[in-house]
Amino acid sequence: MDKTVTYSEQELVTFLQKRDEQYFSYLYDHYSGALYSIVLQIVPDTELASDVLQEAFVNIWRKIESYDPTKGRLFTWMLNVARNLAIDTLRSKAYQNSRKNQELPDNVYFDKNGSSTQLNVDSIGLKKAVQQLKNEHRVLIDLAYFKGYTHEEIAEIESLPLGTVKTRIRSALTQLRAYLN
Amino acid sequence: MNIQEYISSGIIESYVLGIASHEEQLEFERLCAEYPEIKAARDTFELSLENHSLLNTIVPPLKIKNRFLTAIKETGAAPVVNISSARSIDKVVPVRKMYPGRYVAAASIVLLVASTVLNFYFYKQYQNSVADLKNIIAKSEETASNNRVLQTKLEQYQSSLDKIKNPNMAVIALKGEPVAPSGLTTVYWDRQSKDVYLLVSNLPQPATDKQYQLWAIVDGVPVDAGTIDMNNATALVKMKNIPRAQAFAITLEKKGGSQTPTMPIYVKGAV
Repeated sequence: MDKTVTYSEQELVTFLQKRDEQYFSYLYDHYSGALYSIVLQIVPDTELASDVLQEAFVNIWRKIESYDPTKGRLFTWMLNVARNLAIDTLRSKAYQNSRKNQELPDNVYFDKNGSSTQLNVDSIGLKKAVQQLKNEHRVLIDLAYFKGYTHEEIAEIESLPLGTVKTRIRSALTQLRAYLN
Repeated sequence: MNIQEYISSGIIESYVLGIASHEEQLEFERLCAEYPEIKAARDTFELSLENHSLLNTIVPPLKIKNRFLTAIKETGAAPVVNISSARSIDKVVPVRKMYPGRYVAAASIVLLVASTVLNFYFYKQYQNSVADLKNIIAKSEETASNNRVLQTKLEQYQSSLDKIKNPNMAVIALKGEPVAPSGLTTVYWDRQSKDVYLLVSNLPQPATDKQYQLWAIVDGVPVDAGTIDMNNATALVKMKNIPRAQAFAITLEKKGGSQTPTMPIYVKGAV
């Protein structure tokens, strides 16, 4: 399929829900870079993030029927599928163990080609936007969006009143919107 | 409500980025359907998020696309659709997910506890049943034992009655002498077999070291015909075989009996 061809979202969804492989191929070509970037912002390990990305697209394929256009754009839905999967991976026992191993001093973060296997994603996407927030806001967005904790859990982790957590997150989000615009 | 205030409260970003609580999501969806301004604001933010994301891409390894396409071919044309996730944004609830392992572990513990309780319960039941069974067996044995006693007694009476009915049987009543005026016993003497049977009707209870003894009087000489166990004298008691006699008499002797009778005679009777 010609990558230069673009489809209206409605058109795309119709064919995706018929499980036309060609449209999934197009979907991958069009959105994998954006989703991979988001996954990497949560799971920095490129190998693991690749697995998450693959799994995210398989989930999109499996659950495409459950996408409801009245509740938001297709990209938003896919983003959240990928984000949820990345957070699940982040919290999995296997991942936690691998993190412990990586704390060993002789662990190598760069492969032979010198390219990073642990990408520094602080300069891309939402991560970059979040860097510009005040520290007290940045910490909360990091826990809520990139680590997937509920407001209640964050209040406990940060020893803050729940109301404060909610207020600060809302405030941080409106600042992020300004940045994205 | 103030729509503008709601729109700029951060709820739109919170909802779209998937960090709103479930209640907030439901409220937002309801208000979106009701107020076109809110929906428009949501669309605007979503579009800006999408555009921003498409400008901040990282190209994934090439092999991932092939692996994805292979995976969906293998999944087949009828992939599993998760009914519970039929609403797109519902999947985005940021509530911490429970991993299957936790459910399995929680279920295991519940099952273990339930199993332990049941084991204990069944063990108690088992113990009770065993006790009940032992009780029933004991009672059954007691009944069987009683039955055997009755059976034996019945057989004794039957046998006694048969002997009394035997037409060959000579019946000799031994009547009380002055030492035991109301004493009465009966000797049944089989004329053919010469067997002697004794039925005690009434004799004074002897001292524990004493025992009654039956004598056959043969030509004026007393011949031992056996001692009498008073505890076992409720029916006909078989005595010694006496080929010939003119009379029978009973004396009280030392336990085990004597060679010659000790006077006085308690009961006697002629053939």
